[in-house]
Amino acid sequence: MSLLIYGLINSIILALYTVGFSLTYGISGLANFAHGALYILSGYTAWSFLNILGLPFWASAPLAVIATALVGFLFYWVLLLRLRGIALAELIVTFAAGVAILELLTWKGFYGIRYSLPLFLRGGVEIGNVAVDYQRLFVVATGILLVILLWLFVHHTKIGLAFRAMAQNERTALSIGIESDWIGSLSLALGSALAAIAAMVVLPLGVMESTIGYEVLIYALAVAIVGGLESTLGMIAGSFIIGYGQILAARYIGAKWMVIVPLAAIVLVLIVRPSGLFGKFKELEERV
Amino acid sequence: MLEAKNLMVFFENALALNDLSIEVREGEIVAVLGSNSAGKTTLMNTLSGLIVDMKRKEDRKGGVRITVMGSLHFKGEEMLFMKPSERVKRGIVLSQERHPVFRDSDVMENLKIAGFLRSRAETKARIELVFKLFPVLKRLKGRRAGLLSGGEQQMLAIGIALVANPHLLLMDEPLLGLSPMLQADLARAIKEIRNEGITVLVTEQFARPILPIIDRGYVVENGMLVFQGTRQELAENPEVKAAYLGL
Ligand SMILES: Nc1ncnc2c1ncn2[C@@H]1O[C@H](COP(=O)(O)OP(=O)(O)O)[C@@H](O)[C@H]1O
Ligand SMILES: [Mg+2]
Repeated sequence: MSLLIYGLINSIILALYTVGFSLTYGISGLANFAHGALYILSGYTAWSFLNILGLPFWASAPLAVIATALVGFLFYWVLLLRLRGIALAELIVTFAAGVAILELLTWKGFYGIRYSLPLFLRGGVEIGNVAVDYQRLFVVATGILLVILLWLFVHHTKIGLAFRAMAQNERTALSIGIESDWIGSLSLALGSALAAIAAMVVLPLGVMESTIGYEVLIYALAVAIVGGLESTLGMIAGSFIIGYGQILAARYIGAKWMVIVPLAAIVLVLIVRPSGLFGKFKELEERV
Repeated sequence: MLEAKNLMVFFENALALNDLSIEVREGEIVAVLGSNSAGKTTLMNTLSGLIVDMKRKEDRKGGVRITVMGSLHFKGEEMLFMKPSERVKRGIVLSQERHPVFRDSDVMENLKIAGFLRSRAETKARIELVFKLFPVLKRLKGRRAGLLSGGEQQMLAIGIALVANPHLLLMDEPLLGLSPMLQADLARAIKEIRNEGITVLVTEQFARPILPIIDRGYVVENGMLVFQGTRQELAENPEVKAAYLGL
């Protein structure tokens, strides 16, 4: 029973890590390797709003989400504009920007117990005989709600439909007046905002460290590679495979397997069926 | 309405359009005839702005060098280097060759997407017009576009362009790959589109299916204009007969 519940929570956390990354990639073919760095950066941004400006958390968190979206948006126009369509260059530049952010955070001394976001829900319930705190239930609810809202957004708003159009056929989208760079930068902004939303609900569960940025990137990559980057359903499946894989391995083999499982999954999938991320890159190269 | 003068387009050093001038007047159906790789698609992309967009993207990443020269006026405004979206706003919309639709979306969603620059009410009215012209699409509105037949996808591709509300509709080889019967149906639909007040510029490799509905036509070879005239003149010209009517 506890395996079932903790596996579910863990899987949804992984889905939250990944959803922004795979959304940007799905729409614009842009693999944002700064995704993890933006995740943790948003945590520190919220922390600063809270502790330096003295804002309440309910204001700090949305502001941090907006700020992170803005960073993603600027990333596109400043760093990526000239490289669009050269997949490898995009990957290197976003990764370098991510490393720069993370190293800067470490260098500025942003680590230690005082750097944590407050739990906004205290207490918990027993489900069956397993104790689950409200914060973790909130994470689960956020994950589910976010997937529903995103679905509604892309199917029923103009911008959402333009996202779908660009994802499917750029030239047809262009010929009816949808612009690739606007959609590209908005998709990166939305992907970054989703990383920040994940951070706002997941980070309160622990202490913030810049290395979490690398972890989130690797987890998101693992989910994306296992589930394939084509569909939301694939992403959810990937989250559950790795999510439950981690919990099972940690229980029956050892705690350090939490980290090994996603890495092993990446290697395994790339050897056995390299049609996830790898397959897409090949397609991109063929198009150029 | 549309006046293109001395258009030159190079891909690297290869000349795709060579000093091409054409004109389209309000309310006409004008054809551009030319065999494979004559430059029809390059012309349509130059008029719709796709080539300017392609050039901008290639330039900034140092890819293929595309050069565009000449002048292009639409309703008196110069627009050779205008972005595609700005041209769509002003009423030039292209339906591309080989009917590229949004394959994972259903028919209705394809048409909704096409209303990106238009209001909700306008989009709804345009979709009704598309369903009036192509009743098949109304019946198939819930079907995924990738599952439609070639002819249905072609209708959808035209429908997408129509929802974007063109004053001048550019159609790149809309009859390509269709059966003679479908070609005749579609040619009739093009005429109806014109009767809705939309001016049409259409390219084809073969004159026969399109000839009955056009007012005037141009013949292009190797990016150069080789003949121009009314439907009558085209039909009677011996060279056109031999090359594009298969007589
Ligand atoms: N993207 C491109 N890069 C290089 N050459 C091109 C490109 N597009 C078209 N061309 C060349 O321009 C010429 C005209 O092609 P196109 O306009 O596609 O002709 P059509 O549509 O009449 O078949 C051809 O010689 C073709 O090889
Ligand atoms: Mg062509």
